[in-house]
Amino acid sequence: MTKMERVVESLFHREPDRVPVYPILAGVTRNLVGASYEKWATDAETCANALYKAAKDFDLDCIVTLIDLSIECDAWGQEIVYPADQAAHPNYDNCVIKNTDDYAKIKKVDYRTSKRMMMHIDVCKRLVEMANGELPVVTFVFGPLGVLSMLRNQADMYMDIYDVPGEVKNAAREINETLKEYTNALIDTGVNAVMLDTLFASASIMSPSMWMEFEGGLVRELADICHDRGTLVMIHNCGEKIYFKEQIETMRPCAISFLHVPADCKDFAECKEKYGDKITLIGCVTPALAEIGTDEEWDEQCKFFIDTFKKGGGFMLATGCEYPSGTDLTRAKRMVELAKTYGKYEK
Amino acid sequence: MSKCNDISLAVQKGKKNDAVTFVQEALSEGIKAEQILTEGLLPAMDIVGQKFTANEIYVPEMLIAARAMNAAMEILKPMLVDAGVKPIGRAVIGTVKGDLHDIGKNLVRLMLEGKGIEVFDLGVDVSAEQFADAAAEHDATIVACSALLTTTMTEMKRVVEVFVERGLRDKVKIMVGGAPITEAFCKEIGADYYTADAASAGDVARNILVSA
Ligand code: B12
Repeated sequence: MTKMERVVESLFHREPDRVPVYPILAGVTRNLVGASYEKWATDAETCANALYKAAKDFDLDCIVTLIDLSIECDAWGQEIVYPADQAAHPNYDNCVIKNTDDYAKIKKVDYRTSKRMMMHIDVCKRLVEMANGELPVVTFVFGPLGVLSMLRNQADMYMDIYDVPGEVKNAAREINETLKEYTNALIDTGVNAVMLDTLFASASIMSPSMWMEFEGGLVRELADICHDRGTLVMIHNCGEKIYFKEQIETMRPCAISFLHVPADCKDFAECKEKYGDKITLIGCVTPALAEIGTDEEWDEQCKFFIDTFKKGGGFMLATGCEYPSGTDLTRAKRMVELAKTYGKYEK
Repeated sequence: MSKCNDISLAVQKGKKNDAVTFVQEALSEGIKAEQILTEGLLPAMDIVGQKFTANEIYVPEMLIAARAMNAAMEILKPMLVDAGVKPIGRAVIGTVKGDLHDIGKNLVRLMLEGKGIEVFDLGVDVSAEQFADAAAEHDATIVACSALLTTTMTEMKRVVEVFVERGLRDKVKIMVGGAPITEAFCKEIGADYYTADAASAGDVARNILVSA
C-alpha cells in the first residue's frame, strides 16, 4: 500500500494495512539538513528539503507544512524575531496593533507582498513536486483570530474583545479576506489538504459562544473555499477541551488533529464513539513525552491511542502538537515502528 | 455592606469603571479601605478563580476581572499603606527563559494578589539569575516560575540550582507550574510546590505565608 492509499483508506473510515503515522516533525527537521532555525523558517528550499527528508528517513505517511505561527502576520508588517534555536515569533514589544484605535488600520492586503506567505507557498510547491502524488502534503493555515492575536498580543486582544468587539471583528474579517486568497494560492500548489489552526476554539482560552462569534463564521468561509475546490479540510488545535461540535459544524473537516479530550467527551474512548465515524482522529500523544519520561511511557501512550482509536479506520497516530524542536528523534522513530507493528490491521 | 457586594460583582464581571465608581462611593460613605479589600475585592477574586477552574468563565473574563481589580487596588493602595495594612507576604513571578507564554503566569499573579500577596512580576523570558536577583532585592518568600514548553521547563531546574549556589534556597519556597509541569517533575528538580491551576496556586501560596 502506498502512503497515499493508506491515508485515504483511513480518511474514508476503512481499515488500511496499518495505522498511518505522523509525529508532527516540524522545526526539529532543520537538524536533518544542518540548518539554523532561521534559515529553515525563511528559506523555502531548505524548509521543503528538511520536511521531505524527515518524511523519507522516518517513513512518515504524510507531511504537514507547520513552520511557525508567525507566517501569516508578516503580511501586515509585523516585526518577527528569529531566535537561533527556537521557533520564530512576533516582537511583542513592537506589535502592529498598539492600541484599540489601530485595529482600524488592518485592511485586506495582497498576500503576494508577504515574504513569509510566499515562502510557505513555495515550500508547498516543492513538496508537492517531490511527493509526486505518493505522499499526502497538508498545508497549514493559522485562523484569522490567531493571526490578529500575533499583531496585537494575546492578552490585550482578549480584553479588546470586551472593550471594542466591533473593531476586533472588522480587523479579523479583513485578515480573513487575505487568508482566503492565500488559501486559494496554497491550494493552487496541488496540496492534498488544508489544515486550519483554530487556536482559540478550546476551553484553554475562550467560551464556545465567543469563539463562534469571533472566528467561527470566518473559518467557515475559509473551509468553504477548500470544499468548493475539492480540497480536504483538516483542523489542528492542541488546546484542552477543544470544541469538536462547533468546529465540525462550521468547517466540515475530514480530520481533527488534537491533543486533549474534547470538551463534550469524558475520555478518549467516548471521543471515538461520538466522532470516530464522522471524522478522522489524528493524535494524541503528548509531545512533551518525547523529551521527558521514559521510552516505555512513550510507547505506552502510542499503544493506548492505537487501542482506543484504531478500529474501523479513521485514525492516524500522531503527536497532539509539534514534536519538540530541540529533541532528538529516537521517540519519533519508535512511534513509526509501533504504527507498523502494533498498529497492524488484521484482515 | 452591600456596597462591598456591588464592588465584588463589578470586579467579577470585569466592569472596571463600575468597580472604580463603587470603590469611590464606598470610601465617601466612610467604608474603610481594608474592609473594601477583604469584603469586596478578595472574595471577588476567589469567585473568579473558582469559576475559571470550573470552566464557567475563560481567559478573557479572567483578564478583565484582573484589570478591574487592579484599577480598584490603585485607589485603595495608598490608604491601605497609611492604615498600616501590609500584604501577607511577597512573591516574585515570571515565565522562564526562552518561553514567551504568559497568560497562565498572569492568572497566577492575579490569584496571588487576590490572596493579599504583593507580587513582583518579572515578565517573560526570565533567567534563573534574574529570579534570584529579584527575590533578593524584594526579600520575597515565594518564587513562582511558569513554563509552557518542554524545552524551557528544564530552565526551572536552573532556577533551583542558582538559589542553592547563592545560598538563598532556605529563604524561599519555589513554586512551579504550566501545562507540561507535573508533581513528579517538581520533586525531581527540587522545587517546593506544584499546582495545576491558578486558583490552587493562590491557596498554596497563602498557606506558605501564613504558616511561615
Ligand atoms: C496560547 C498559546 C500560545 C500563544 C501564547 C500567547 C501568550 N502570550 O502566552 C502563542 C500563539 C504566541 C504560542 C506560541 C508558541 N507555542 Co504555544 N500554546 C498556546 C496554548 C494553546 C495555550 C496556552 C495558554 O495560554 N493556556 C491558558 C493558560 C491559562 O493556561 P496555562 O498557561 O497552562 O496556565 C495555567 C496552569 O498551567 C497554571 N500555571 C501556569 N503557570 C504557573 C506557574 C505556577 C508557579 C503555578 C503554580 C501554576 C501555573 O495556572 C494557569 C491557570 O490555571 C498551548 C496549548 C495548551 N494546551 O496549553 C500551546 C503550547 C504551550 N504552545 C506550544 C508551542 C510548541 C508553541 C510554539 C513553539 C509554537 C511555534 N512553533 O511557533 C510557540 C513558542 C513561543 C515561545 N518561545 O514561547 C506547545 C508546547 C509544546 C511543549 N510542551 O513543548 C503547546 C503546549 C501546544 C502543544 N500542545 O504542543 N502559544
